[in-house]
Amino acid sequence: MITDAGESHLRRVSHWKLYFLLLTVVLVLVFVFSLNIGFSHIPFENILKILAKNIPFLGDIVKTPGTEEFLRQESIIMQIRMPRVLGGALVGVALAAAGVAYQGIFRNPMADPYTIGAMGGASFGAAVAIVLGVGVALLGVNTVPIYAFIGALGAVFLVYVISREGTRVPVTTLILSGLTVTIFFNALVTYLKLLAGNKLHALTFWIMGGFTYTDWTEVSTIFPLIIIGVAIVYLYARDLNILVLGEEQAQHLGVELEKVKKILLACGALMTAAAVSISGLIGFVGLIIPHLTRIIVGPDHRILLPTSAIVGASFMMICDSLARVIIAPSELPVGVITAVSGGPFFIYLLRRKRGGYTVR
Amino acid sequence: MDKTLTYIIAIVAIIALVVSSYGFVAFQGQVADLENSTTDLEASISDIQDTLTDIQDQIGQYQSNITELEEELSGFKEITLVDDLGNVVVLTEPPERIVSLAPSNTEILFAVGAGDKVVGVTDVCDYPYDFSAWIEAGNMSSIGNYWQPAVEPIIALDPDLVFASTASEEAAATLRNLGYKVLIVEPRTINGVLEAILLVGRATGNHVEAGELVSELRQRMDAVVNTASQADSIPKVYHEVWGPDIQSAGPGTFIDELITLAGGENIFHDAVTSFPIVSSETVIEKNPDVIIFPNMYMGLLPWGTYDDIASRPGWNSITAIKNHNFYIIDASIISRSGPRLVDALEELAVMIHPELFG
Repeated sequence: MITDAGESHLRRVSHWKLYFLLLTVVLVLVFVFSLNIGFSHIPFENILKILAKNIPFLGDIVKTPGTEEFLRQESIIMQIRMPRVLGGALVGVALAAAGVAYQGIFRNPMADPYTIGAMGGASFGAAVAIVLGVGVALLGVNTVPIYAFIGALGAVFLVYVISREGTRVPVTTLILSGLTVTIFFNALVTYLKLLAGNKLHALTFWIMGGFTYTDWTEVSTIFPLIIIGVAIVYLYARDLNILVLGEEQAQHLGVELEKVKKILLACGALMTAAAVSISGLIGFVGLIIPHLTRIIVGPDHRILLPTSAIVGASFMMICDSLARVIIAPSELPVGVITAVSGGPFFIYLLRRKRGGYTVR
Repeated sequence: MDKTLTYIIAIVAIIALVVSSYGFVAFQGQVADLENSTTDLEASISDIQDTLTDIQDQIGQYQSNITELEEELSGFKEITLVDDLGNVVVLTEPPERIVSLAPSNTEILFAVGAGDKVVGVTDVCDYPYDFSAWIEAGNMSSIGNYWQPAVEPIIALDPDLVFASTASEEAAATLRNLGYKVLIVEPRTINGVLEAILLVGRATGNHVEAGELVSELRQRMDAVVNTASQADSIPKVYHEVWGPDIQSAGPGTFIDELITLAGGENIFHDAVTSFPIVSSETVIEKNPDVIIFPNMYMGLLPWGTYDDIASRPGWNSITAIKNHNFYIIDASIISRSGPRLVDALEELAVMIHPELFG
């Protein structure tokens, strides 16, 4: 028997292609408009010209004014705004995808990189790298993401082990153990601040979260990490679908539970670490985005994951644009904006007693 | 008949004589005129020659000026500056559009006379002028935060030289990557500040003013140190920088250095960190002779009045409180790495050794 709710659910899912297309268009529009937002007023027309000029092959065809003014605008767009907008988009993708993975594994709507401690662990790892100065360059490779990854991995498995009761991970235990681990790592970061000396400025600002100084090197460092992370989660999207039905059913259907869980936990940690290493602590994105997306396109992880990634990217770019303009010429840490918009949403989820939400 | 002829001849002769003498006189006059005009000509020729010499002299002057200017300019080409973090900046022409990313840099720039070239300051730059009024009037731009400023507002000012601090290190790195010239000025000692003044002077072409300022500051410092050295005692000084979770200043701070130079002993000179959080008990135990509080936030003291300090539990046993040796100093003169640190030194000397400086 198909209930009304079930019917509307199916209809929603059958429309997912339309929504996906629509959200992709939104993503592109948000991207271009994000480039347009900043202290210097650069005509929209010039932004399009600059974009066209910097596309290989097409660039030779487009005619652009060679004036000093235009060249300065180009360096602002290509060297300052573009890396930060792309960095924001990538961080949005990473956090949303990690949120999807964690909510699936834990079968728990409250799981996200922040609440389960991955971010706390990653921030500790990254802080170690920043304070010790090893993060600058080791054999030409930026090591901050590696340290952040080790920290995130440790924290996630710690939370997983603490909060597991048999095969289930109850909401309260998960949140509490996530909180505990986060507080523990935050305390370690505070201790590092005391040792930081002249790196204290850099460390404090980095923890506050933001894309003010994101450059191309950082973007190109995290890009492959995040793409690999999303790709692996996507490969296990079917297993996630089965997993949310319940572990017993999953086992019957031939899913190697423990292996899949560990791989996905590690993937989540990888993406969180990549995000944290350039942006610092940014909360709530991994929590809100999968929820919103699930409401729009339904719970099938094969659709949910790419859609969440797109929505996450758009959301992060919007938050960063706001960060740039609210108290211009100074900038707000973007973490403040995600927390201000995400906090109430989190409380709403906590308070919500019923109304049909599941991870299914 | 003969007589008649004789008369005629005589008359003709007389006429001829008269005419010829007249002609002679006229000729003579003309010669004199000619001679006169020759002298005139000669005079004007020598005049012209004089003028020519003058002009040639002037041309020579101009040429030497040009050579001097060229030398100065080519000398400028060779100006290589090394900032406090070891970054090297080469200036090919004198900077005309300077942006300051720290209140201390703003103070130094104005003190060496390069203030007219400053086009951008931070929100917290408030000396030597109230820049917020300038900014509102459109004569100056704010680039926003002193701490971790955004890069775009700085670029928008198209600066040819930026003076940053360690609080704007990331912005400095980004600007440098974009080809802007950035000097990070972050002196940690008074002598470092004097060197910073010389650096800013050299960078802006105001090296003469900077040199004069530094020698004046040195003289004033020497005067304080020499007088303070005649003191019989070295009073113990407590300087609170934040409260009520009290934070003091330890080694490596200007406060510590200035107290020592003014003939006092900072009771937290041997602290582990630069700005240690200390306990009330430690302050009582160390029993300072002089207590100094900074004045900030437009004169508001977050920790209250003298009575509030004196009524902190156990503080009435401290010598400084008993003797009412409680002073307030402007936080910006004692903490900013600018020329006003010497003002702070002079004020501290009066507080610590009133018997010598009062």
